[in-house]
Amino acid sequence: MIRWVIAATQGVAYAWLEMEIRDQDAELVRLAQSGDAPAFEALVVKYQRRIARHVARYVRRAVDVEDVVQDTFIRAYRGLSSFRGDSSFYSWLYRIATNVAINALKRDPAPVLLGDDAPEERSDAFQPGVSDSEDPERRLIASQIADAVQRALERLQPELSEALMLYEVEGKSYPEIAQMLGIPIGTVRTRIFRAREFIAKRLEPVLGPQRPRRW
Amino acid sequence: MSLKVSVLLDGQLDPEEVKPVLNEVASDPALRDRYTIYALVGDVLRGNSTPDDGFTVRILDRMRSQGAHVEPGYDPFAT
Repeated sequence: MIRWVIAATQGVAYAWLEMEIRDQDAELVRLAQSGDAPAFEALVVKYQRRIARHVARYVRRAVDVEDVVQDTFIRAYRGLSSFRGDSSFYSWLYRIATNVAINALKRDPAPVLLGDDAPEERSDAFQPGVSDSEDPERRLIASQIADAVQRALERLQPELSEALMLYEVEGKSYPEIAQMLGIPIGTVRTRIFRAREFIAKRLEPVLGPQRPRRW
Repeated sequence: MSLKVSVLLDGQLDPEEVKPVLNEVASDPALRDRYTIYALVGDVLRGNSTPDDGFTVRILDRMRSQGAHVEPGYDPFAT
């Protein structure tokens, strides 16, 4: 019965979900459009690595990726008044990044990496700030961070890790997670927070001495 | 407050809550740190690992050093 109801309303659910995703950053974007720099910086922190991973499909060297990511965010900030909210902010940013990366390739075609060489298929996939295989120390640190997160995740209460993974990895929204787990949205919010806090506390010893300033 | 930082990251605060929470985050290094670590955790879980070596700060520093600001009429897609 429940499945039938879900199936019958799937179209509506998807439409609603799209609206949810589209509106997710609306208030931060609105504030940034009015000149609130911290609002835009919060968006930079949120999306920088996703954009970097996308850019690395086009550009190989970490230094080039970083240049393209920086150009992307500067262009986005300068052009923020042209963002109308017809798509999600991330989609808009993604398209800007694609343009900037392609323009970078036109200027310097050497680092092209497309198709089968896309980073997802490469053993040396791009890591923001890591200069491919030329910098084993930074790669090691990245690996230590990933290991610390993994270890923390394994020690986390299952109901907390479930909520976090559904949100961060499966891309489910708060209302979707609430529906899937049969819990109120407020509980989803709390579980995701508690999961992050648990992991953050175990990550801090790895991060602390390396870089006190992150924003 | 860290709970609200987590919800801010997810874009799930009520619109009227965003500005006050953002102001607190912007003025408190510990909360900014929390926001960035929460974002880092999500990125690591999605496979975007990082050495946390100042990638964010370099982006923000370049924006500030160039005096980047919202420019009405500027086309971010222009070549």
